[in-house]
Amino acid sequence: MTKLTQKLTRGTAIAALALAAPLAVQAQDAKDVVTVVKITGENWFTRMEEGVDAFDAENEGVNARQVGPAQADAAQQTAIVQDLVAQGVDALAIVPMDPSTLEGALRRAKGQGITVITHEAETMVNTDIDLEAFDNTAFGEHLNKKLVECMGGEGKWTTFVGSVGSLTHMQWAAGGIANAKENHPGMELVSESNESFNDPNKAYEVARELLRTYPDIKGFQGGSAIDVIGIGRAVEEADLQDSTCVVGIGLPQDSGQYLDTGAIDGIAFWDPKDAGYVMNKLAEMAMNGEEVNDGMDLGVPGYESVSVTPGAGDGIIVRGQAWVDVDASNWQDFPF
Amino acid sequence: MRGRSLDIQMVGLIAVNLAILAAAGLTVGERFLSPFNLQSMASQVPEIGLLAMGVMLAMIAGRGGIDLSGIALANLAGICAFLILGPIADSGMSGQVYLLAFGLLSLGVGLLGGVVNGLIIGFVGVTSIIATLGTQLLFTGIAVILTGGSAQTLGYVPALDDFANSPVLGLSPSVWMFLAVAAGLALWLRATKSGRLLFLMGSNHTAARFAGVRTRWLLVQVYMLSGAFAGLAGVVIAARTSSMKWDYGSSYVLVAILIAVMAGVRPEGGYGRVICVVLSATALQLLSSYFNFLALSNFVRDLAWGVLLLVFLAFSRADLSAYWSTAIRPRSKA
Repeated sequence: MTKLTQKLTRGTAIAALALAAPLAVQAQDAKDVVTVVKITGENWFTRMEEGVDAFDAENEGVNARQVGPAQADAAQQTAIVQDLVAQGVDALAIVPMDPSTLEGALRRAKGQGITVITHEAETMVNTDIDLEAFDNTAFGEHLNKKLVECMGGEGKWTTFVGSVGSLTHMQWAAGGIANAKENHPGMELVSESNESFNDPNKAYEVARELLRTYPDIKGFQGGSAIDVIGIGRAVEEADLQDSTCVVGIGLPQDSGQYLDTGAIDGIAFWDPKDAGYVMNKLAEMAMNGEEVNDGMDLGVPGYESVSVTPGAGDGIIVRGQAWVDVDASNWQDFPF
Repeated sequence: MRGRSLDIQMVGLIAVNLAILAAAGLTVGERFLSPFNLQSMASQVPEIGLLAMGVMLAMIAGRGGIDLSGIALANLAGICAFLILGPIADSGMSGQVYLLAFGLLSLGVGLLGGVVNGLIIGFVGVTSIIATLGTQLLFTGIAVILTGGSAQTLGYVPALDDFANSPVLGLSPSVWMFLAVAAGLALWLRATKSGRLLFLMGSNHTAARFAGVRTRWLLVQVYMLSGAFAGLAGVVIAARTSSMKWDYGSSYVLVAILIAVMAGVRPEGGYGRVICVVLSATALQLLSSYFNFLALSNFVRDLAWGVLLLVFLAFSRADLSAYWSTAIRPRSKA
């Protein structure tokens, strides 16, 4: 009996090995796709990593992982990309600190035959596919419509951006300004493009100064994901939550307490988890030589019918309609 | 204090470099030691290495000398060079001429910025940490005003790109330039009168002044050289990234100081070796790339840098030279 068990065990082990061998080979052949974000440890990119991990778990043929610098410095991000190129990964999915700064490193990545996917970098020349959650001008317009509605169509308002070098932030602001100018003559723009440098404390300080300079200011449109938090804090401290409107991109859990008090009136965002997932999906498609066509369904909400336009270089820009509106009533539905 | 040929700091740095290479060779394997990766790592050293040499000079000069304005000046130099020349398509120059003109302009702006630093520190007598903090903001401010805060895109200029990326005799021209500058600086420190007087001034400023050393002009020279290195770093940055931006490398300020201190440059002045600064810069680069290969978080890298720095500080504080026989130290160095 024991001998039989032993034989059986041995047989099973051999069979298992025989089965596992091709699997092991397959695992080695899996393509390395590395997502490089602006900075590690920020909620936005932690959420993005969930999408990258989800893609990794669902796809045997791809080893997906996410890395990013410890400091928000384009030089640190460039160094990471250069090391990954030397390492010979199969594809890079990048959220650039500043698109222009990475052109050199990505040109060499493409020269090495590495597939390059970017996100929030419409002007990037050296990319195969740039993914945008939505048309940036349309998103800025969308935010501004919410702001106008809240303000009753008139009053002083201003825009915030992470920095004037952040292209998307400037496009949202421009989209908002265009909407207000063309359709709502009562909206008076003051002191536009306030820079928060992606720091809620800085946004708070700037908002306080603005409230002092323009005591009758009624509207704020945030550009960086943390702008609304800083502005909301300043508004709440000044006890102006009922007479001012704060609208911008933001994360539900971060902005929740201010949404509840009315210091922030509404936020919109795109889910970084989905963006992380779709970037990896596009990387896989590009590596397999599959084409992305106008109107294609990428199987993720908001990316069910993407638009495809030519990019700044040889690549293409893929756009979804992936914005999500959140206010006091539904922010708790989102875990990030 | 330390022997010329047997320098514990240098031996330690060489050992660290070799240890990281060996560890990477064993755990990551051939890919790390491949010529492509070695070149890639080498091409990342010049910009931060040049800035660290500037910090080193300021430290040697003594009285708590430091240059915080390096990276700000490097960015400003690159931006000025680009704004003066314009995009290559409009300039009507060939790639090589464009590279040369870009280099000279960037170097010139660097020199000028360095002279400003030197005059403020040497003649106005402001402490260097305050003075260079001020000029750092000044240089950054000018760069932001000139560009409106956005990156300047150079586009693909093959000659400039090759300068930082295409190996010639195994290393890219930017690395050769860095090594040549390092050798020149070592020669200046060791073989010229100014260089020797600099060590004297760093050891005892008052004594140097009463001994007839023109300390103010020496300080101007020191910061002018540091500015020149920043100007060269500006060219390397432009070549590596195909762009110039005012906030590129904001983390370099501290890394450059880290490299200099790890290289055994004495923050209180009077001692520092160029070869150690080069080795210290390569050690940090190797460690950084190694951790990137291992897919470790960049926070781990910062932590490892911190540990390395503390270890080297501990070693240099525990004065091991007392145990060194005087017989094998042929001559002591100022």
